[in-house]
Amino acid sequence: MSNTTLRSPNPWRASSKPQARKLGQLKKHESRWAFLFISPFFLMFLVFGLAPVLFSTYIAFFSWDPLGDTKFIGIDNFTYLVNDSRFWQATGNTFSIWAFSTFPQMILALFLASVLRNPKLRAPIFWRTLLLIPNITSVLAVAIVFGQLFGRDFGMINVVLGFMGFQHIDFVSNPLAGHIAIATMITWRWVGYNALIFLAAMIAIPNELYESAELDGASRWQQFRYVTLPGLRNTITFVIIVGTIGGLQVFAEPLTLSGNFNGGDSRQFSTLTLFLFEQMFVEQKYGYAAAIGIAITFIVLIISLINFLLTRRIASEGSK
Amino acid sequence: MIKFSKPLKALVAIAAIAVGLGQFSPALAASKTVVTIWSFGNVIRPELVTEYEAAHPDISIVVKKSELDPHHNSLITAMLAKNTPDIAAIEVSYSGYFRSYPKYFTDLRTLGASDMQSDYLDWRWDQGVADNGAVIGIPTDVGGAAIAYRTDLFKAAGLPTDPTSVSALWPTWDKYIAVGEKYKAKTKKSFLDSSGTVYAAILNQGTQKYYDRSGNLIYSSNAQVKTAFNGTSKALASGIGSNISQFTSDWNVGMNKGTFATIIAPAWMMDYIKQQAPATKGKWNIASLPGGGGNIGGSQLSIPASAKHPQEAMDFMKWYLSPAMQLRVFKTYGLFPSTKTLYDDPAVKNYTDPFFSNAPVGAIYTKGALALKPIFEGRKERQIDNIFGQALSRIALKKQTAAAAWQQALSEIKNTVG
Repeated sequence: MSNTTLRSPNPWRASSKPQARKLGQLKKHESRWAFLFISPFFLMFLVFGLAPVLFSTYIAFFSWDPLGDTKFIGIDNFTYLVNDSRFWQATGNTFSIWAFSTFPQMILALFLASVLRNPKLRAPIFWRTLLLIPNITSVLAVAIVFGQLFGRDFGMINVVLGFMGFQHIDFVSNPLAGHIAIATMITWRWVGYNALIFLAAMIAIPNELYESAELDGASRWQQFRYVTLPGLRNTITFVIIVGTIGGLQVFAEPLTLSGNFNGGDSRQFSTLTLFLFEQMFVEQKYGYAAAIGIAITFIVLIISLINFLLTRRIASEGSK
Repeated sequence: MIKFSKPLKALVAIAAIAVGLGQFSPALAASKTVVTIWSFGNVIRPELVTEYEAAHPDISIVVKKSELDPHHNSLITAMLAKNTPDIAAIEVSYSGYFRSYPKYFTDLRTLGASDMQSDYLDWRWDQGVADNGAVIGIPTDVGGAAIAYRTDLFKAAGLPTDPTSVSALWPTWDKYIAVGEKYKAKTKKSFLDSSGTVYAAILNQGTQKYYDRSGNLIYSSNAQVKTAFNGTSKALASGIGSNISQFTSDWNVGMNKGTFATIIAPAWMMDYIKQQAPATKGKWNIASLPGGGGNIGGSQLSIPASAKHPQEAMDFMKWYLSPAMQLRVFKTYGLFPSTKTLYDDPAVKNYTDPFFSNAPVGAIYTKGALALKPIFEGRKERQIDNIFGQALSRIALKKQTAAAAWQQALSEIKNTVG
């Protein structure tokens, strides 16, 4: 790549007409246009992103009955939150479902990606498209279909279990079985998407590495362990971060499985977002719900920080 | 692929925009007044709506149907945003909540509701009267309760099958549970669909639930609540129920397969059974509820304050909820009328339903409705119901003892309601 290409503000014209200006330097009238062009995003963000965030921070300090009165109560919502066992249970449920969905999903996605990477595979585009189909299916439809599969008395899984002589599992009242059921829905939906991301990263690994590994007598597994995996390190971190953000927002699956906003008889499906929704729209405590929202933000921040530190360590290890 | 020239592309784009705008052009929409209705369950019948539209060519009715709780939750949000439908259905368990906020409703007295009042059961009417006296809802049906039972399964278990003898089997809830235990011992099958439903049936046989008439919370002191809770725990302990939750897919399947022999059936339940288990036609019959009359559910129609067409909405409601219409709805779908003027009508009193083995459903539900004592619905009735419901599920699943579940429920209610 030539130097002029890098400098030019217009890469398409760069080769034919080199320009002296440096990248990022715009004439005054051009900068005005630039602001105009980027304004739609920022206007939308202001109205639908920032304004709600500020407003919910505001109402978190109130006892806010939507149709009735509002009263300033200081940090009472937050002290109540910290002492609310339902909140801690929701946090626990969320992470339990996250763990059950993320780790098996990683392994499965890596496996699928390695299968798809095989150059001898016929009709690769077809298989790749097939992997994405669960992802474009409506969450609610997925949850309803899986709800039928997991039914206690006549659900398909239990019918099969019963046929094989096992006892029926009550996926709705048994917390652990329920979490696994929800994690299965999430895995089914996201595994193909993640496999494609892994596949993209795998294709970027130079073939020479595999060839030389093969020359050195590395087995298939050793190639995967010592060539593929290190090459995917950053991708894995990315997929885990995205999965964590998604995992903290799990909502439709537990709602459909328990059929209730309170998350079942012992609140075993009450995830953080479900708890927020319940407090807001079922119990009509807008102030408290806003406080929960802020708590979720802090949880996301903490996890992001951990992720950031981890990634930095991995990155510095990689450059050694 | 077809390649468009540039001018042709522009033309296609303009045409597309023009078509898009046409959708919203006022000239097309102005010919009809659109009345929007938000509803749940079977409160609004699409066939009857079509009939109304046919008789009123200038009116178009758009119905949005949701699940019970989400429906009421989104109604609250819609009221806050002043973006409400013209008509909203409100279930009795939420009526207490909305009664405290009359300013979000059109006072139906301004649209002639006072003239209608004499047709309806007094206590049902009062459930739609706000704290300040404004009329905010017109009652639809009365959920007078009875027991629906499977005659074929009863016969197989050696129990009587005609409604009179069956009703005589269970004058009280204890007797009902005893019959259930006998049935279960003989057939190894469940007697009742869900023991949890006993709770609402017993609770609604009292005159007050969680609130007294001045709105004070009495859930922990009202003996009726404890009676209902203990009665239900007893039913749960006896194992007569199948513990399938109502309105789930398992429940629908169970109804068809005869997994359970009885269902506590408010009048509106007959319609669910007909819809979900059409193949069981003629295998059902109706007997009276243990412990006297009872009411479960029922709804009212309201016009929010920010409705765009309150007059047209009221015209529809006057037609839809008139005694003549309620009679038709009862005969077609089984929803029991809230207009007391009909209770003496032979068309109701002598009505029998072939689906339920020609049971005298008219007589049974009339008797139940007349025996009802008015019951007061308080502000957060639905939330408290849900918490007790969860407690009973924990007992059913043997996660907790009855006493522990009761204690946890009380503390949860204290937490959420005060």
